Amino acid sequence: MKMDLEQLRKTAAEVVSRDDVRYLVGWKQGTYGYRVAPGFIEDAAGAAELIFSPLCTANLATYLTLAEQLPVPRGEEPDDRKVALMVKGCDSRAVVQLLVEKGIERDDVVVIGCPCPGVIDADLLAEKYPETEDLAEMKWDGEDFLLIHGGEETKIARDELLAEKCRLCRYPNPIISDIMLDQEVETWELAEDEGVQEIEGKDVDERADYWAEQFEKCIRCYSCRNVCPLCYCQDCVLDRLNPTWVNRSVNFSENTAFNIARAFHLAGRCIECGECERVCPANIPLGKLNRKLAREVRDKYGFEAGVDPEAEPFQASFKPDDPEDFIL
Amino acid sequence: MTEKPKVGVYICHCGINISSTVDVDAVAEFAKKLPNVEVARTYSYMCSDPGQVLIKKDIEEQGLNRIVVASCSPRMHEPTFRKAISEAGVNPYFLEMANIREQCSWVHEEMEEGTAKAEKLVGASVAKVRLLEALETKEVDAEPAALVIGAGIAGIQSALDIADAGFKVYLVEKTPSVGGRMAQLDKTFPTLDCSACILTPKMVDAASHPNIELLSYSEVEEVTGFVGNFDVKVRKKARYVDFNKCTGCGDCAKECRVKDRFPNEFDQGLGKRSAIYLPFPQAVPAKYTIDAENCLFLSKGKCGKNPKCQEVCGAEAIDFEQKDEFVEFKVGAIIVATGFDPFDASRKPEYGYDDYPNVITGMEMERLVSASGPTEGKIKIFNGEEEIEPKEVALIKCVGSRDESVGNEYCSRVCCMYVAKQAHLIRDKLPDANIRIYYMDVRAFGKGFEEFYDRVRRENVRYIRGNPSEIFKRGNKLVVKVEDTLTSRPLEDEVDLVVLGVGLEPRADMREVMDLLRLSQSPDRFFLEAHPKLRPVDTATDGVFLAGCAQGPKDIPDTVAQAKGAAASAMIPLARGKVTINAQVAIVNEATCRGCGFCVNICPYTAIELVTVNRFGNEVEVARVNEALCKGCGSCSAACLSDSIQPKSFRDSQILPQIAALGVMK
Ligand SMILES: Cc1cc2nc3c(=O)[nH]c(=O)nc-3n(C[C@H](O)[C@H](O)[C@H](O)COP(=O)(O)OP(=O)(O)OC[C@H]3O[C@@H](n4cnc5c(N)ncnc54)[C@H](O)[C@@H]3O)c2cc1C
Ligand code: SF4
Ligand code: SF4
Ligand code: SF4
Ligand code: SF4
Ligand code: SF4
Ligand code: SF4
Repeated sequence: MKMDLEQLRKTAAEVVSRDDVRYLVGWKQGTYGYRVAPGFIEDAAGAAELIFSPLCTANLATYLTLAEQLPVPRGEEPDDRKVALMVKGCDSRAVVQLLVEKGIERDDVVVIGCPCPGVIDADLLAEKYPETEDLAEMKWDGEDFLLIHGGEETKIARDELLAEKCRLCRYPNPIISDIMLDQEVETWELAEDEGVQEIEGKDVDERADYWAEQFEKCIRCYSCRNVCPLCYCQDCVLDRLNPTWVNRSVNFSENTAFNIARAFHLAGRCIECGECERVCPANIPLGKLNRKLAREVRDKYGFEAGVDPEAEPFQASFKPDDPEDFIL
Repeated sequence: MTEKPKVGVYICHCGINISSTVDVDAVAEFAKKLPNVEVARTYSYMCSDPGQVLIKKDIEEQGLNRIVVASCSPRMHEPTFRKAISEAGVNPYFLEMANIREQCSWVHEEMEEGTAKAEKLVGASVAKVRLLEALETKEVDAEPAALVIGAGIAGIQSALDIADAGFKVYLVEKTPSVGGRMAQLDKTFPTLDCSACILTPKMVDAASHPNIELLSYSEVEEVTGFVGNFDVKVRKKARYVDFNKCTGCGDCAKECRVKDRFPNEFDQGLGKRSAIYLPFPQAVPAKYTIDAENCLFLSKGKCGKNPKCQEVCGAEAIDFEQKDEFVEFKVGAIIVATGFDPFDASRKPEYGYDDYPNVITGMEMERLVSASGPTEGKIKIFNGEEEIEPKEVALIKCVGSRDESVGNEYCSRVCCMYVAKQAHLIRDKLPDANIRIYYMDVRAFGKGFEEFYDRVRRENVRYIRGNPSEIFKRGNKLVVKVEDTLTSRPLEDEVDLVVLGVGLEPRADMREVMDLLRLSQSPDRFFLEAHPKLRPVDTATDGVFLAGCAQGPKDIPDTVAQAKGAAASAMIPLARGKVTINAQVAIVNEATCRGCGFCVNICPYTAIELVTVNRFGNEVEVARVNEALCKGCGSCSAACLSDSIQPKSFRDSQILPQIAALGVMK
């Protein structure tokens, strides 16, 4: 698979030049090592910075709702131009889920789809190929990854670096898009979700112990919430003071309350982009928790978040003939 | 609310219902020490007049402004105490009830436990009552008209009662004629009145009553609004016959090019009708209807040179250009009387209903014995060789009822009696036949039922206890395989005719009405009433009532009784001319609402919609509650992730301190 960068930049330049587009959010090279940064491109010239590579792990859909809606000064009109967004398969599910729950309007975004052969896990990469200060690049090379650094090219087997979310990815091709940048990739054989299986293998007490140990580590930085494309409430309940659902003190009880509340708020909404886990400085395996809930919702209710823009939001749907076998 | 809360706590003995397991005086002493509590008293019956006077006097003399009554469930007496305190000048919503009976004294045996729990409950109520807000109840005008959906005997009876009381009624019937299932019956148990003779006059009354607007061959498309103010849209389906011109002469049906080709629904398919038809001779209105699916002209675009019906109709009533029409009107109350479906006997394949023509259902038997039926009341069958009068007849009860394997655990309540009735009618026509009834139990609970059952047994009808396992063919005979469970003998009973006593099922299309009116089903899948004992004709939707078999299987006397009950209840808002709107409604915090619409989807009363508001110059969507529809159930509040919608009197800020006072939360 070769993503044609020229093509990408040309398309992006065209899109940002449109009168009805405010800016484009895509990936651009970071400042050192394997870093990739979000790029907010406002004009055709800026589009030259854009890239799409195995390093582009971040889900940029979060910027759709993260952008603050500033008060409009009297006498001025609100800027209601569209935002253009580059999405991989998983990212596109976030867009779909946002549409389902009216977080955004379809007309407010231009979705640029990037069919995705799978991205790398930055921790694995850094472990095997130590970080440097100079910029490094990466490419897809057939079945493998190609690391380009200091004029040297290293071929790395896909399995060695592939991110966990990608091993489990059922939707590498964007589910919705206005412009598709490349041909669809072929889906691959799914790995077993060992993380979730590990949890399911434990009995109730062992699970409690496992999560107790994990939540103990949480420093309540809220990075997980802030990076999540679906955590975008104006005034998150976790920040409320009256009533204080979750106390501000960082201790096991409050950490647990926070993590469980968030997990439940994401049940049937999480699109498994893995961003929460990726950004967690305490290395809490949040993916296991969210994927477990996603799996329950899939098995029990046959619902999958972010795959059908016309779906009724899962947490807000009620069917009189729900089997409810699990309720006493 | 700046005024300092002054709380009075009133603890009821409820005779000894409460005081035998709760030390009420100890609870009063406990309450006196709680913050803001000025008075705490006990009394034998708080709800009695002297009990209420006690509260009112304290309010007047001590300037109380918040009241806690510790007694029974608020479902019993909340309205009583609300009224009492408002008479004494306190806002009726400054009341909190602690349920120390159902949730406390009745479930505890030890005085110590009961008292400790009562104290917690009272403490929790005191914590909450201080934080309540004053609310206003509002009233709106009610439209003095009713909608009745379904014109079987239930719908007809409800419509007639309401119309006789002087209110306008819109009676909507899906099929071309009113009458429902009762019109198909021959005689009716236990008195054996001829069904048509007692029903037809009512059908005619319903159609000609000055206060009833009959909309036959019509369906309700849309209902919006709330009790007192429902806006209804009805689709009048095209009959392709001009209603005003058709004289009902029937010349068209006689000349139809596809005359007598299609199974007649009214005769359960035993007779045939043309593409243009009147469902049955006494149909009301007596107007013909073209079945568009089978009419050559409407389905194929061509019927000979010219459509025959059009040629022969002297009144020039045939109108192929006719389109569905819509009528819209306003009503104050709605009665759902959509009836039932007979159980589909194909779902018990072991009885061979689909395979053997001489296995028929009870509904078919009604048509077969009816003098106006396809055989003019003669019971004749074709046994494969010749047309004979059956000699050996078996009737089987509980087909599709009391049968978990088909998902119907309930008893259909009419089959015991109609099977007995049919045995009697068969005996009448075939004096020499051997008639037996296979049964599990005989339930003859109604007025005159047991007597009727005795009479039928004396007419030489054999009751054999056993539930047949299979019916198969042997030569010209049908074999009923069964174990006689009284003698434990397996039988292979050779007969000529089998009548399956099929039960009553919820209508297959009931979901349409459920969605229209937001109704629910009980476990038997019939429409759910608001309370099985105390509100048997009401539904969870205010202003919507149930009548007849739509609510559950019943015979004609019960159907009529319920129809009259539903009519009486439906007339309450019509007669009052006003409806009171619940004050404890949900309210949206528009500053934090993210407009996701979860609450809109989840609200069981369609009380919420999304509206666009201007938030500092930006157009955003937020939820808005229609107070007339909201019941304060709190479902929305549970669905809202950002905690932006809460029912008044049950806000987080009010219930969390209450929960905290129970000691289960910091
Ligand atoms: C075989 C058999 C024999 C019986 N014999 C006796 C007997 O001898 N004595 C006795 O007391 N009882 C008997 N019953 C019971 C009796 O039939 C019922 O009690 C009675 O018919 C119930 O009347 P209903 O108005 O509730 O329902 P229905 O008769 O079913 O009438 C419902 C009406 O609503 C209409 N409708 C349905 N849905 C809609 C809609 N969405 N919009 C508009 N219209 C709609 C239907 O077309 C129908 O006209 C017998 C039942 C059966 C099956
Ligand atoms: S999860 Fe799927 S779409 Fe997302 S980065 Fe991995 S392979 Fe690509
Ligand atoms: S990112 Fe990790 S440490 Fe930070 S709040 Fe979330 S779980 Fe806790
Ligand atoms: S919870 Fe985590 S994995 Fe799920 S959508 Fe949010 S960031 Fe992605
Ligand atoms: S944790 Fe819940 S309330 Fe907070 S932003 Fe996420 S979804 Fe909204
Ligand atoms: S409280 Fe119940 S009825 Fe009222 S708006 Fe909320 S969900 Fe609807
Ligand atoms: S669920 Fe909450 S946030 Fe969503 S629309 Fe309703 S009130 Fe607003």
